[in-house]
Amino acid sequence: MVPLARRNLLVEKGRFAMSVLGVAFAVVLVLIVVSLYRGWSDVGRFYENLPGQVWISQTGTSDPFHSTSFLPLGDARRAAAVAGVRAVIPVYARHIAFGRQGHELDVFAMALAVPASLGPRARAYTPPRGSIDIDRVLADQAGVRVGGRLDVLGRLLRVVRIHSGGNSIFQTAFLNPVDSRALFGVDGLTNFLLLDLRPGTDPTGVSAAVMKLLPGTETHTAQEFATSFANRVTSGFLAVVGVLVGIGFVVGGAVIAITTYTAIVERAREFGVLKAIGAPGSFLYRVVLEQSLIVGVLGSVVGIAATVLVTRLLRRGVPEFITVLRPVDAAGVFLAALVMAIAASYVPVHRIERIDPAEVFRP
Amino acid sequence: MSAESLLHVDGVSKTFGSGHTAVRAVDDVSLVTESGEVTLIMGPSGSGKTTLLSMIGGILRPTEGRIAIDSLEITTLGRRNLPRVRRELVGFVFQTFNLLESLSALENVEIALNIAGVSGAQAADRARSLLCEAGLEARLAFNAADLSAGERQRVALARALANRPRLLLADEPTANLDSGAGREVMRLLRELTQSKGHAAVVVSHDPRLRRIADRVLRLEDGRLSQGGHRGNALHAHHVAGASEPRGGVRQSLERVGRVEPS
Repeated sequence: MVPLARRNLLVEKGRFAMSVLGVAFAVVLVLIVVSLYRGWSDVGRFYENLPGQVWISQTGTSDPFHSTSFLPLGDARRAAAVAGVRAVIPVYARHIAFGRQGHELDVFAMALAVPASLGPRARAYTPPRGSIDIDRVLADQAGVRVGGRLDVLGRLLRVVRIHSGGNSIFQTAFLNPVDSRALFGVDGLTNFLLLDLRPGTDPTGVSAAVMKLLPGTETHTAQEFATSFANRVTSGFLAVVGVLVGIGFVVGGAVIAITTYTAIVERAREFGVLKAIGAPGSFLYRVVLEQSLIVGVLGSVVGIAATVLVTRLLRRGVPEFITVLRPVDAAGVFLAALVMAIAASYVPVHRIERIDPAEVFRP
Repeated sequence: MSAESLLHVDGVSKTFGSGHTAVRAVDDVSLVTESGEVTLIMGPSGSGKTTLLSMIGGILRPTEGRIAIDSLEITTLGRRNLPRVRRELVGFVFQTFNLLESLSALENVEIALNIAGVSGAQAADRARSLLCEAGLEARLAFNAADLSAGERQRVALARALANRPRLLLADEPTANLDSGAGREVMRLLRELTQSKGHAAVVVSHDPRLRRIADRVLRLEDGRLSQGGHRGNALHAHHVAGASEPRGGVRQSLERVGRVEPS
C-alpha cells in the first residue's frame, strides 16, 4: 500500500515534529502526575519493612503518622503472654519540628525498642544512643550528611545513617528508644506496641486475644497501617491527579486533532481527487486514522522516554520529587494515547465527508 | 443499440439551485459512445461540458435523464455504489492533473490500484508497466511536484487507466500543456483508448484534439447543438434520441457482483 498518511505528515516536517512534541508533552504531564501519585501511594510502605507483624494502638488510631496513641508500658508484658507472640516492641512515635538553616523542618520520628533477642536485622532501625537515622529528603533539606549533627528538641544527635525515602510532605527519622523517652517525655508510657509473631502464627487469632486482654486497644497489621496511610495521603490528591491527567489527554487529543485536521484541510483537493477516482469512505478514513495514530504513537514513545529522563533528573535535583514510574502505567498511558488518537480523528473524518469530489474539476 | 456501445446518455439535464436562481447547466443531452471511440465535446466556457462529464463519471447526479456505462445504469445507483463505478468503470483525466504532490509518479498510479483493492507487488508492477507505456520509465521515483506539466498529465493518464476502466473521461487534458506535450498526451490518449478497447469522452476548448476524435460534438448553453465525425467535424448533425440501454442492467450487474443489491 502507498504510505499516503506518512507522506502527508512528512510534507510539513516542522509541523509534524511540533505535533509529536505536543503529544509527547501531554504524555510527560500525564505520566509525571501518575508517577507522583504512585510515589505518594508508596510512602506508607516503610511500615511493612519494620520488624513485627501486628500493631497495638489506643482505640481510634488510624496510623502512627496521622493520629496519636498512648499505651501503658505494662501492656507490653501482658501482650507478651499471648500465645504465638515471640517479642513485643514498644514504639515511640511523634512529629517533631526543629529549625535548621533558617527553615523549620518537620519530621515524623519513631523509636523501636527492639529486644536484643530479635537479632541485628530487626535492630536495623534502632540507632545507638545519641544518634539519629534520617531519610534522604530530610538529609537534603537539613543539609547534613552521615556524621553530621542535628539539633533535635535541644539535643544534638549525630546522623549515623541516611535511608532512602521521604517526599515533599513526609520525612521519617529513627531515634534510639532511650533518647526518645527523654525527648518525648513519655516515661512509663509508649505510643504503640509492635508484636513479632512466631512463624506460622495466625495474626487474626493474636489480634482477637490482644483486644480481649487489653481493653481500649485495637490491632492493625503492618499492611493495614500502610494502606491506611497511603489512602490518607493519596485521597486528597486523587481528584487533582484526575483533573491533571484529564487535561493532559485533552491537550494531547487536541494536538492530534488539530494536526490531522490542518493536514486534511490543506490537502482537501487531494482527498477530493481520491474521492473522484473512487476511493470509498473507509479508504479515506483509514488514511486519517493512520495519520492520527502515527502522531499518537510517536508522541507517546517520545513522551515515555522523556518522562524516564525527566524523573531521573528531577530525582537528582529535587529529592522531594518522589516518583515511581511503573511499566504498567507507561503501557496504560500508551494505550490511552492510542484511544485519544482514534478519538481525535473524528473531526478530520467529518471534514473529509464534506469534501465534494466535483471540486476537482475546478482549475 | 450496438453490441459494443459503452456509454448511453439519455435525456440528461442538470439544474443547479431552484426558483428564480435556478440554472439549467445541461439540458436534455443524449449521446452514445462505442468501444474504441474517442468522443470530443467542445464548447465555450460555462456551456456545461464539465457538468456533463461529472454526471457521466458518477460524481454529479442528473436532475433528469439516465446514464448507463457498460450496461450499468449509474443514475439509479445508491450513493455507496458510485465510488465503485468511479474506480472500476471510469478513469478520470483532469485539466490540472490532480496528482498527489507528496507521492512519486509510481505511487500516484499505485494508489488508484490500492483503492480498488490491488496492493503489493501486483500493484507496483501494473503501475510501472503503465508508466513505461506512457514513456515515463525514467521518472518512476520522481515526486509528482518535480515532473513537467506534460509528464504529470501522462502520469494522470496512467492513473486513469490503472484499473482497466471501460470509459475514460478527460476534462481539458491539454489545456495546461505546451504544444509538444499536448501532442504527446493526445497521441497517448488515442493509442491507449484504441489498443485497450476503452471509450473516451474528452471535453475541451482545444481544437487540436479534433485530430484524435472519432466524433466531435458541440455543447452550447447546456445543449448538444452540433457534431460530426473525424475529418468532418464541421458537418453539423443533431445527436439525439440515443437508444434505450438494455433492460435489467442493474440486475445483471448484481449477478456478477459489480453492485450491491438494492
